[in-house]
Amino acid sequence: MSDLLPQDQRAAFRAKAAAIDHPHELIVDALRAVQSHHGWVPDAGVALVAELLGVLAVEVEEVATFYDKIFRRPVGKKVIHVCDSICCWAGGGEAIAAHLQQTLGIGFGETTSDGMFTLLPTCCLGACGDAPAMMVGLTTHGRLTPESIDRILAQYRAEAAG
Amino acid sequence: MPTLTIDNREITVPEGTNVLEAARALDIVIPHFCYHEALGAVGACRLCAMRITDGKVSGIQMACMVRAKDGMIVSTLDPDAVELRRHVIEWLMTNHPHDCPVCDEGGECQLQEMTIAGGHGNRRYTGKKRTYANQDLGPYIAHEMNRCIACYRCVRTYRDYCGGTDFGVFGSRDRVYFGRVRDGQLESPFAGNLVDVCPTGVFTDKTFRFKSRAWDLQEAPSICPHCSLGCAVVPGARFRELQRIRAGISPEVNGFFICDRGRFAKGSTNDPARPRQPRIDGTPAAMDTAIETLRTRLAAVVARYGPQSVALLGSPHASLEAAVLLRDWAQSLGTTRLVYTAHAEQDRAARITGARLERHARSLNDIRGSDLVVMVGADPLAEGPLLALAARQAVRGGGQVAVIAPQPVELPCRASQLILPTEQLDAALHCLAGGAATTLDATARQQLEALREQLAGAQRPVLVGSSARLGGRGVNTLFDTAEALTTPERTIGVMMLLQGPNSYGGAMLAGRGPNFDMLLDGIEDGRIRALVCLESDPIGESRDPARTQELLGRLDLLAALDARPTATVARAAIFLPTRTGIEADGSYVSNEGRLQAFARVMEPGVPLRDTSPAGHPPREFFTETPGSEPWPAWRVFARLLGRSEDLAVLRREIADLDPRFAPLAGIRPEAPGSRLTTTPGLPHYQLDREARE
Repeated sequence: MSDLLPQDQRAAFRAKAAAIDHPHELIVDALRAVQSHHGWVPDAGVALVAELLGVLAVEVEEVATFYDKIFRRPVGKKVIHVCDSICCWAGGGEAIAAHLQQTLGIGFGETTSDGMFTLLPTCCLGACGDAPAMMVGLTTHGRLTPESIDRILAQYRAEAAG
Repeated sequence: MPTLTIDNREITVPEGTNVLEAARALDIVIPHFCYHEALGAVGACRLCAMRITDGKVSGIQMACMVRAKDGMIVSTLDPDAVELRRHVIEWLMTNHPHDCPVCDEGGECQLQEMTIAGGHGNRRYTGKKRTYANQDLGPYIAHEMNRCIACYRCVRTYRDYCGGTDFGVFGSRDRVYFGRVRDGQLESPFAGNLVDVCPTGVFTDKTFRFKSRAWDLQEAPSICPHCSLGCAVVPGARFRELQRIRAGISPEVNGFFICDRGRFAKGSTNDPARPRQPRIDGTPAAMDTAIETLRTRLAAVVARYGPQSVALLGSPHASLEAAVLLRDWAQSLGTTRLVYTAHAEQDRAARITGARLERHARSLNDIRGSDLVVMVGADPLAEGPLLALAARQAVRGGGQVAVIAPQPVELPCRASQLILPTEQLDAALHCLAGGAATTLDATARQQLEALREQLAGAQRPVLVGSSARLGGRGVNTLFDTAEALTTPERTIGVMMLLQGPNSYGGAMLAGRGPNFDMLLDGIEDGRIRALVCLESDPIGESRDPARTQELLGRLDLLAALDARPTATVARAAIFLPTRTGIEADGSYVSNEGRLQAFARVMEPGVPLRDTSPAGHPPREFFTETPGSEPWPAWRVFARLLGRSEDLAVLRREIADLDPRFAPLAGIRPEAPGSRLTTTPGLPHYQLDREARE
């Protein structure tokens, strides 16, 4: 449990939850805090958030499973969300998704063997004007081509190595 | 009261009624899943589409989400609405596994009915279906998530209505999942209601799994025998086995839901240890012979020691008809030694309740609409779970619940808790009524004074007590408090949890007669020589079981009528097997004085699974059904009294002879029942000085 969230952050969430009328509002923030510290949210993370905020475990799990940006299973260092919605699809999104899968050698929902990337589909990134688009970590990349994807992936790999 | 036109027919409905309900009042059935009378409308399933052609809201609307307004013109047959409904049902069915042949819901499945009603008869979708892993939800509820159509009824029932905390809805889009965070038994004592509310086969009764098709069950309207509240249930039987119980609908009592005890505890009906054979001195006998032997032996005791040497013990579990005939039999024997429960203190509490409830009587529906429920010594989840559920609805409606008890009382809702030892509950009630209450400490007094203020301001307050915890004295004080706080504008309501389904009926019949402890004294000093127990086990149920057991051994004659294998049955010289409420018609008077009838579901007999465990039909043939000896208890007394053995005739006779039971004459098990009025001027039960002969 100790590596889920540092003690000072736990205390901060406890204090915030006690000070407001609807501690449920903090569930997303607390889950994201656990995720950024631990990489993903294990069962113990759900239980921890419920305990910190004084809400039901089932209520935390409902939120955690609703959002596809909360990871309830281990993921790679960077998660790639590639958009499969209408604008990106019209802009060649299917080819982009196929290129990503081929380059990374994984399907959707899988992680590369080096633990670097996890590939997930997403329904919209709000980047329709820059379609086709994907989000790596918290950074959005638009107007994708196979070449730009190769460049972007290489850059992330280099950053991770360096 | 808006008047609207639906499919060219006019109807006037109460203010606030939605269009779906208004259509239903015209017997127009529109397919729907998410709408449920007890849960309200959420407009989630998109199935109840209608066209509203005139009025403020017009166009295709979800009927459950639109309030009926004056002058509204509605069409349920509009081609666009019909087409929309057909598409919606087709979408809902895309992932459904079509496993009706192996699904327990088949035959009573709303999804089957609505799919046909919605006009979806041909599957066009050829893609992959979404599939789920199911959870183990414990021994009572089976989980088959693939059948889900995401109507959200389960989570609205479990979390919102019943206050459960371990069930929810996970995920999003077309992969929402209804279940627990991880496998495990559902914790709510009302979890079984998932089986009734799920419109398809996601949640089914695991104890009933693969036993029968719904249409093969023998079903009849019945009353739950497990506590004093009198909830409506519909038991289902097949192959001489009580196979399942589902909730009945009784708006004034349980509404749509029942507790898990009422649903899954099947009592002695199927019990392999149940005594089914009449016995005389341990030897099996025919029913007629056993009844005649009882008559002869009692006559001998009466001849030798006088009629008062015979004592009769009724039961909170026996039907009202049997209880009345027991009284008639006592009169014909010439004995006044007649008691309706072996527990003297519960007896006293029940009689005071019967005598004093009058205008204070409240139904569970009144509790659901109360603005302040004060529970004194009561533990509803143990003594009458549906009362706890009713209190939750009071809180959901903006009301408050206050508990005064010796230990914190678990409830499915918010409640203030004042912890006081049992011996101080009486003082607490005095304090609520405005008494000085010097025996209480200052904090308790302060809290009680605040509660007294709250009671004074409440419009629909109800005091809830328990005969088990308060005893006669406490119950009497609770009524004093209710009377003291009653004003000309509003009466303080009372709901008293009693021992069993017919405690109230027994109390009405017991009047000023003795209690069981007095009978024990009579046995001890030799005045009482014979005891007949009707569906009562004094050894297990009296205040002092050891003394009772010792004294029963001194009797010249102990006779028992029962369907349970009790200690008293084992010691009885004459034993007469009786039928359970599943196997006989009868009625109970619930704790609010409501007379409700139950109908026979099946004839008694050893379940086929016990007579032919391998599932093979019996290889030996008899003209009699094995284990069919038990009689309804009332029939035994009718025989002893030489009266009609037709229940309808008996009910009319009872109603004619005792005006308090007048509604019994035309009683119907499918009707909601009626609250009995106590005879005006009937003297209150003497509290401190019981009438000794």
